[in-house]
Parts: sequence; C-alpha cells; structure tokens
Amino acid sequence: MPKLSPRKAPSLAEVQQLMAEAVMRPLRRDEGMQTAWKDGTPAAEVAARIIKPNDRLTSFERLQIYNQQYWWRLLGTFGEDFWALRAVVGARKFDRLAVAYLESHGSQNWTMRDLGKGLESFLRAHPELIAPHDRLALDVVQVEWARVVAFDEPGEPVLQPQKIAALPPDRLRIGLQPYLTLLALAHPVDDLLRNFKERQIETGAFSNAVATARPRRRGRIAARPSRRPVHLAVHRHQLAVYYKRLDPEAYRLLLALRDSATLADACDSAFAGSRDLPATSAEKIQRWFAEWMQLGWLCRAR
Amino acid sequence: MPANRFNAFTAYGVGLGLRIPHYAHILEKKPLVDWFEIISENYMLDAGRPLHILDQILEQYRVVQHGVSMYFGNAARPNRDHLRKLKRLTKRTQTPWISDHLCWGSVDGRYTHDLLPMPYTWEAVETTARNIREVQDFLEIPVAVENVSSYAEFHVSEMTEWQFLSEVVERADCGILLDVNNIYVSSKNHSFDPYEYLDAVPHDRVAQMHIAGHTKFERYLLDTHDHPVLDPVWKMYAHASRRTGRTATLLEWDDRIPSFDEVHREALKADKFLPDAQTLAA
Repeated sequence: MPKLSPRKAPSLAEVQQLMAEAVMRPLRRDEGMQTAWKDGTPAAEVAARIIKPNDRLTSFERLQIYNQQYWWRLLGTFGEDFWALRAVVGARKFDRLAVAYLESHGSQNWTMRDLGKGLESFLRAHPELIAPHDRLALDVVQVEWARVVAFDEPGEPVLQPQKIAALPPDRLRIGLQPYLTLLALAHPVDDLLRNFKERQIETGAFSNAVATARPRRRGRIAARPSRRPVHLAVHRHQLAVYYKRLDPEAYRLLLALRDSATLADACDSAFAGSRDLPATSAEKIQRWFAEWMQLGWLCRAR
Repeated sequence: MPANRFNAFTAYGVGLGLRIPHYAHILEKKPLVDWFEIISENYMLDAGRPLHILDQILEQYRVVQHGVSMYFGNAARPNRDHLRKLKRLTKRTQTPWISDHLCWGSVDGRYTHDLLPMPYTWEAVETTARNIREVQDFLEIPVAVENVSSYAEFHVSEMTEWQFLSEVVERADCGILLDVNNIYVSSKNHSFDPYEYLDAVPHDRVAQMHIAGHTKFERYLLDTHDHPVLDPVWKMYAHASRRTGRTATLLEWDDRIPSFDEVHREALKADKFLPDAQTLAA
C-alpha cells in the first residue's frame, strides 16, 4: 500500500505521487487498470483513498480513465515513431516491447519527441523482446530514430569552401551536422521502408484531445541480411528527410570526421587497405566533398 | 471588457487551431481567419519543417500560443529549460498572451502528457498561484489559465472547481482561458450546475474562450475534440459571452479533423451567440 500521511489529509505532492504511479502502471491485457497494487493491495482500495466515487463510476473506474489515456497516448505516439519496428516484429510483440520500454524509461521530457531515444540500447539489453527478428529489428530501430533526429534536430551554419581551403588537411577538422546520422546496417532498411510504406515524415503533434482507443497499424516487413553491409546516411535537406547510401570509404571518412580526426587522418583511415590508386581516391574524395557541401552536411568541428 | 490586461488589450475575434492537415490549404488559399492558436510544444524546436511553416503563417496571420505541458498545478516548480524554449517562441510569434492548463502532469521528472485534475485544496491554490506567477514573471507577457475537463474528484478537495479557479487567478493575478466545453463535460461527470460555474468566475479576468466538441459515453463524457460543438455548449457560450462581453474565441478540433472550410464554418457559428448579435436579433 502506498504511503500517505496517516492522520492528516495527503499533501498535494502525495496525491500527485500516488496518482502518477497509478496512471503509469501498465494496463491489463484487456486494457483495463490492474486490479492489484504492486504490494498486492486491491487497486480499488488504493484508488478509493484519494478519488471520490460518484453515482455512475467507482473510484477505480475514474482512475482507470486516466490510466488508459496515459497508455493510449504514449503507445500511439511510440507506434507512430516506430511503425516499421512494429511491422518487423508483429503487432503483439511490438505492444509487449513498447509497454516494457515505456514502463522502464517513461517520458522524461515535456516533449514526446524523445520517447524513443533509449530504445535501441534497451532492445540490445533485452534481445528476447525482438527475437527471432533481432538483427532486422535493431537495424530498423536505428533508422527510425535517425528519422526523428533528422526531422527537427538543430543545424549548424554550413562550412564555407574557403574555410576548408584555409587550413592544411593535417590541421583541418570538420564537423558534421547534428541532424545527420551515419549507420552501418545488415539490411537494406531504406529500401524496405520505402517499399513498405512511403509516407510523409511528421512526428506526432501535441493536442488537448483525449483518445477513445489506441491507433493501430497493420502489415509486416521481413528481409534477409544483405551480402555486404549497407552504409546509410539519414539526413535532412530542404526540410525533408532523406536516406543516402554511402560507399564504405565515404562512410569511414565521415565517421572519422565526426570523431574529430583531421581531414588528412580521416582520408587515410577511410582508404586504409584500399586497392584504389591515390589519384582515384583523391578524385572520389573531391566528388564526395562537393556533394556533402551541396547537401550542407559539413560544419565547424565542435 | 474583452480587451483587458490579460489579453494585452487586444480585440481578437474567432480563431482556429493551427493543425497539420490544414497547413497546405492555409498556405495556398490564404483564407480570411482572424487568428490562429498554436500548440506551443509543436513549435518549441530549433529547426525543421514545423518552424518553417509557422514562419510562413506568421507572415499572414496573428498567432496566439497555447500550451499543454507547463503543468501549473505541479507540486514542483516550473521547468526552467521548458520556460526558456517557450520564451524564445513567444519572441518569434509575438503572441499577445499565452495560455496553459489549470492541471498537473509530471512527478519527479516523469511526464504523463495528460492534463490531470487538481485536488481543490488551499495548499494547491498557493502552489499553483506561485507557479503561474513564476511563469508570468519569466515570460513577461500575460498568462491565462484554462479550466480542464475532468473525470475524477479528490476526497481532499476543500472547495468547488470554480472557487479554486477564482482563488488561483486572484492570487496569481493572471487571466482565464474559459473553456466552456470543459465546464460542460465536467458538470456532467461531477453533477454540478455549469451555469453556477459560469456565473461565479471573475469575468473581468477572462482573456479568451475555448469551444469544442466532446463524446458521450454511457456513464461519462470525454473531451475528445473530434465533433462539432454541441447545442448545450453553444448555449453556455452565449451565457458566458453575455457576462464577459465579446472575447477572443477559439474552436478546438484535434481529432478526426475535417476540411479546413468545415472547421472554419463551425467556428464562425460563434458569432451568432455573441452579445451584440443577440441584441441585433432582438
């Protein structure tokens, strides 16, 4: 039984603590409120301690409305952000992992935009939640989170070509836009998602409205791993989110730049072990940089 | 009365909520709308498409900010990071006033993203008024607090909801966003007379009004914002308007959103219920 002041009326903080705890407890399988509190006390008894019944609803039923709203709202937004993960693992498994993740992490921000921030590491720690689709699921989660980041993460001023020319490569460090995510994947997730459902990227919007049920989606995504790793940049260009495949060397070069290597070191590490002639490598680097400058990916190193 | 210090002495008419499905229509057709209400949290960003859209809207329209996660009624003090981002947005929109709800919603850094009901206690009055004052001082623009729809009442409550609202706004010296639909929904859920509520609130503090649709279930009403405004709510709106005078009014339609024209037509019905219109009709 949760602690409340024994003789006097509970304080504002106590009421809020207890109600928040009740509201955030996962729903039963039939989407009703759990009938027992954590310590086994009947939940109806706990609800009755703070909530008045009326002539139509018990204290338990009144509290249940808020419990359902909490879960329907969070699961709705979470499902919108990770619709492809749902398609990989299936609706039932997705619901289980969503509840487990949200129960463990909750929402720690006034915006629901960051709801899925810790999902990849959570799933790596709990592979049983995505087995036997774990490799594809982890690929998909990374791409879906990268899309959230690309949608509205702030950008830095784009680096001007003269700044790059001003320093020798062994002293030049170049940053990458914070909204750009570089991924090495086992599956062609960009193609899978495009084929499954190409939809405009809009993160869930806040509103005052309450839901009468949870939104749901159908459909499955399945794929075998690619023969070679898929190197993918998820980025934003002119306010739209895009995927861009990268050559392995280009991927390594960008990764090295992001890790604060000098331009010279980044190029060396990108082509380490490559059979390309130096002139070919130089031509590739020049072409990539021209493209990355055009896309606005490069900025001052932080 | 409508232009008062709680809405920065503006005289806004009937506005609409700015919603994603209507972006293209608004930017392309540029319909004549007195003002748009935005949900602040959807634009408290540093980049991306939502801000780009907002900037285009601001070139053409007046915008008022409405929030859903300030949680004035939290036992804890307002989140400073949230306030800084909110203030940055107010500079961008030049909103004459800002509103959020008379509710709570987070505990120990965990957010429910819901508008949870207040226990109507004197302690809650003091805490909520303190938080509103802090927000108002930080933002340096008038703040209006909105009454929420509720589905639960607390044993510890020491007063009615309208007494609570009145006490809070007097102590915080802030405005009221009077949501007529919310009063109706709560009156049915808690069996009180909604007109007693409307008559009791300090009318000179009403900065803005909300109207919306709701859903009837067998044993309670839910504030779903997915229907046209129902007749009893229009009647209450007319009654409230007689008390407050013409006040900036906003139709909320957040789910199963129909075409822009349909939402706009529904909002403009408010004109029929305003005091001047009734005088003319008589």
